[in-house]
Amino acid sequence: MMNRRDLIKLMGAGMVMATTSPLVTISHASEVEKKFKKHVGVPMSKVKDGSSLIKLKTPTIAETGANVPVAIDSKVPVEEVEWLMIFVDNNPVPRVIKVHLTPMNGKVYFATRIKMAKTSNVRAIIKKKDGTYLQAFKEVKVTIGGCG
Amino acid sequence: MHLTRRDFLELAVITGAYLTADPVGALAKMTSEDILSFKSKGKVTLLFTTDMHAHLKPLYFMEPMNLVAPKKLKGLPGYLTGPDFLKYYRINPNTLEAYFGSCVNFPELAEKFGKMGGGEYIATVIKSVIAERGRENVLVLDGGDTWVTTAIGLFTEGKAIVDWMNLVGYDIMVAHWEFTLGKETFLKRIKELKAEFISQNIVEEDFGDLVFKPYTIREVGGAKLGIVGNSFPYTPIANPRQFTEGWSFGIREEQLQEFVNELREEHKVDAVILLSHDGLPLDMALAKKVKGIDIIISGHTHDVTPKPVFVNNTMIVIAGSHGKYVGRLDLDIKKGRIRDYSFKLIPVASNILKPDKEVQKFIKEVYKPYEKKLSEKIGVAETLIYKRDTFYSTFDRLAGEAIKDYYHGVDIVFSPGYRWGTTIIPGQEITVDHVYDFTAITYPDVHVFKMKGKHLKLILEDIADNVFNPNPFYQQGGDMSRVIGMEYEIEINGPQYNRIRNITVGGKPFNPEKEYVIAAYGGNLHRSEFSEEIKDAKPVPVYEILIDYIKKKRNIKVDTKPNVKVLDESYRTSC
Repeated sequence: MMNRRDLIKLMGAGMVMATTSPLVTISHASEVEKKFKKHVGVPMSKVKDGSSLIKLKTPTIAETGANVPVAIDSKVPVEEVEWLMIFVDNNPVPRVIKVHLTPMNGKVYFATRIKMAKTSNVRAIIKKKDGTYLQAFKEVKVTIGGCG
Repeated sequence: MHLTRRDFLELAVITGAYLTADPVGALAKMTSEDILSFKSKGKVTLLFTTDMHAHLKPLYFMEPMNLVAPKKLKGLPGYLTGPDFLKYYRINPNTLEAYFGSCVNFPELAEKFGKMGGGEYIATVIKSVIAERGRENVLVLDGGDTWVTTAIGLFTEGKAIVDWMNLVGYDIMVAHWEFTLGKETFLKRIKELKAEFISQNIVEEDFGDLVFKPYTIREVGGAKLGIVGNSFPYTPIANPRQFTEGWSFGIREEQLQEFVNELREEHKVDAVILLSHDGLPLDMALAKKVKGIDIIISGHTHDVTPKPVFVNNTMIVIAGSHGKYVGRLDLDIKKGRIRDYSFKLIPVASNILKPDKEVQKFIKEVYKPYEKKLSEKIGVAETLIYKRDTFYSTFDRLAGEAIKDYYHGVDIVFSPGYRWGTTIIPGQEITVDHVYDFTAITYPDVHVFKMKGKHLKLILEDIADNVFNPNPFYQQGGDMSRVIGMEYEIEINGPQYNRIRNITVGGKPFNPEKEYVIAAYGGNLHRSEFSEEIKDAKPVPVYEILIDYIKKKRNIKVDTKPNVKVLDESYRTSC
């Protein structure tokens, strides 16, 4: 039987189509809250909706959970920003990356590819220098697929 | 009841239920002029087909009994079937329009009106409109799912249909199942194709560069039209990944918006048209997000829109499937504004229209090497055999029975939720060609493997969310995979990944810890991390299994009772 590790290896070699485990067990809200507070530093309720200021570009359905493109583009002036974080609720380690920005970056923009274990909200969180937080999020589905 | 062909014929004489030997007499009131009649407008004409699924020959194709929708989408175009469809579009029952667009009285009307579609009849429609309007005023478009999924499509690797399109005079197309020919063949075919292939939503996986031209600009009837293409966004998920290795798809609505703006601001086009294989529900959602598209010519979900759907300022139309319709949209365009339009889905009724002689000859030639094999009669249908429905079809039950008969000890058969196939009416002889109509794919093998009950449930929930997510952006396309040998209840509007209840397998209670033996084809299931392949069960193409099974049984009678119970929405079991 193919184990999870073999599968990921195969995926790396580009041999297998999208199949990380499709999500069924959604992490409990309280669990996400706990992890969120641990990694972000404040409870989610303290983070304001930044959907009008942060553009989070990522597919609604991932082609493979092993490689999900994420791009964050924000109108918030880079001078006001301390860091930017990508947080994936249902990943074993939800904090994917924390990027510290300086005015030398020119603007708040960051693009990468992430690995997702299962369907989850993907969050782009910004900590501003004034101590406030903003976030935008989008659900990204990881599916086995297979019907035409 | 065990009907032989002879019994049936006798019965047919009594009930009058048989294909009339004199179609002209039966259809005396309907003429080719009636079918083609059209109130023309302006100077621009768009003609379009979609999802022909390589049916160069006319066929019966019954529209589904059910397109079960999540509450939010219920009652909208894309989810209207049977009597609801007729009521919504004010179509009289038992008319040609009713026969083409709904399942109501289908077997009876099939005998009255005959077969639908066919390459030589589609050609007649397209050529007659071109003759009426002038070539420079007509643009001929195709929405994809055109080259493959019949025997002729499979055996010629799409070539027969590419040649047909060249003969008819198509201008532009997008794709989906065409990709299952594999990258190399696909690229070869689009070179042979005289029409232009466009797609803004296919990029190189590494740097995101466009693989194809995203849009094209055409002068038609004195207007400058910008046409953007969207191929099926979920091709690498819905079909095996290896066919499009290195390419990334997706909806790419932000990029689409940029191209629409570019066409308007830089190229100053008079109208922007999206030629799409997104599916109607997704295109209706997309029209809310992307501004500045005048017309979406949709495909993929096989819907029939006798009248356009309007979302904000975008007009959306879709021309059914299997060559049943040619869409005609006339536009009166002046100074960057569509002032008026006229629209009709022209039914391709093969008993009423005259065939185009040149194309008829071509199709005969193309079939010649395969005709003997494909026309072999292998059985007789005692039940209506159809494919399309949200959960269940008699074809899928038949496939399930055939596969279970071939591989002993299989508990559950997975048959894919494709929308395409054919319809065989009771009393009709089943040919080899029919079997391919339902199963002609480039990855036809049936795989047998073991899987734990709990993982099976997990996968069913995953598929259910791809079908019933209330947001079309999260639907992956396709109807629900069919599971033969298993029964379950479903709450369509239940929570994500928690819609399915009361599963039984072969009448026995479901055991999440038990390892079930599963046979599946046409999907990715056997490659899931939960599947353990059974080595001594050799993979065999599903069409071979079906052909042998039908030959063995001869008279094909299939249980019409679905194995799925829908708890919170209505679900028809007859039409």
